[in-house]
Amino acid sequence: MLLRFPAAAQESPFFVTYTHHMEEPGNLDLEFSTTNGVPRSDQRAYVAPYIELEYGVTTRWTSELYLESQSTSGDSAVFTGWRWENRYKVLGREHWINPVLYIEYEDLNEASRIQKEIEGGGPDLTSPNALLTPTRDHELEGKLILSSDYHDWNISENFTLAKNFSQSEGIEFGYAFGVSRPLGTLSSARDCHFCRENFSLGAELYGGLGSTLDFGPHNAAHYFAPVISWTVSDNSTIRLSPGFGLTHETNPVLIRFGYTYEIQGFSQHVAKLFGSKR
Amino acid sequence: MSKVGFLGLFATLLATPAFAQNPQYQPDPEWRPPVETVARKNPLTARPELAGGGRKLFIRNCAECHGRDGAGMEKKHSADLQLPVVQQQSDGTLFWKITNGNAKRGMPSFSKIPELQRWQIVLYIRTLKPVQTSE
Repeated sequence: MLLRFPAAAQESPFFVTYTHHMEEPGNLDLEFSTTNGVPRSDQRAYVAPYIELEYGVTTRWTSELYLESQSTSGDSAVFTGWRWENRYKVLGREHWINPVLYIEYEDLNEASRIQKEIEGGGPDLTSPNALLTPTRDHELEGKLILSSDYHDWNISENFTLAKNFSQSEGIEFGYAFGVSRPLGTLSSARDCHFCRENFSLGAELYGGLGSTLDFGPHNAAHYFAPVISWTVSDNSTIRLSPGFGLTHETNPVLIRFGYTYEIQGFSQHVAKLFGSKR
Repeated sequence: MSKVGFLGLFATLLATPAFAQNPQYQPDPEWRPPVETVARKNPLTARPELAGGGRKLFIRNCAECHGRDGAGMEKKHSADLQLPVVQQQSDGTLFWKITNGNAKRGMPSFSKIPELQRWQIVLYIRTLKPVQTSE
């Protein structure tokens, strides 16, 4: 049934950095992603899969729901919680810098390792799941997203602050910067899978900035990650990113993989199911 | 204007609403680009063969609301791009509208599409109706 829906996948290649490009109203993105940690000597390898439902509420408001889990080698597989985020594009028109406000509620446990953002010092990558899962984090997170399109380049900066209401950690901070560009800027008339226009390349730099109790980039995880996205068809995009840990608080390598399927006019399809004639 | 030309124009004006899927479309008077943008020329005008790529992009990104033939959809209040009221707008105006969208009317911004591809869409929109005058 899904295959009959027309769609227009043109996803940002970033995994962590947000741009000002919003989901089109009424469209739904289904995303299946994993964050895979290659361990240091004192860590274990893990796979952290997550599902993301991204819906365009209006032209300037996008809402997303995440369900996430994690499986650690030689340990266990656990459900790590959910997140609900909302992004609002402040200005109605395109400017040199386009601000977007972001607010997210998280109900996670400490075993969460998808690392959609890094705040404070970063996640605990050494303790066993049995020790981490009982500790729940009810967290409110805000971001200021600044994003610019300069010719075919996108340059984005995200500044994060997060307050965990379950623990006395102060307010934690984080950052993400990203630059990306499509490989081809003209569209060919024929349908093709491997045309240059279907690929985007870029790089992200993201990490934690400590908290109000201990502010600064020291003792925090920081990653540099090249990113590539491939628009496989009108409605499908694949993204890949090998991230390289820059500090001891990281995994040496963090491999991210994502598949996105976009459904255009999702809200109308749902309305029809419930008898709407519009 | 010759008699034949006048009759042709008259027939076109009569026929357009009959075939358009959203003949009631009225542009948003407040949706106006800055003056310097109106005068922007399409850098691909000399390469009409690129309109084929514009068609592909149009079907991917625009047809959901404007229809594959660009005639608009009444239920979505989307513009009939074949109407003279659209075709008479300059290339720069159409480019600006694709780039910025119009939140008030539910038209999203398509600034995520590379700049030259947005110009390709403008090229294709011109094929929906013979080019008339510009602003």
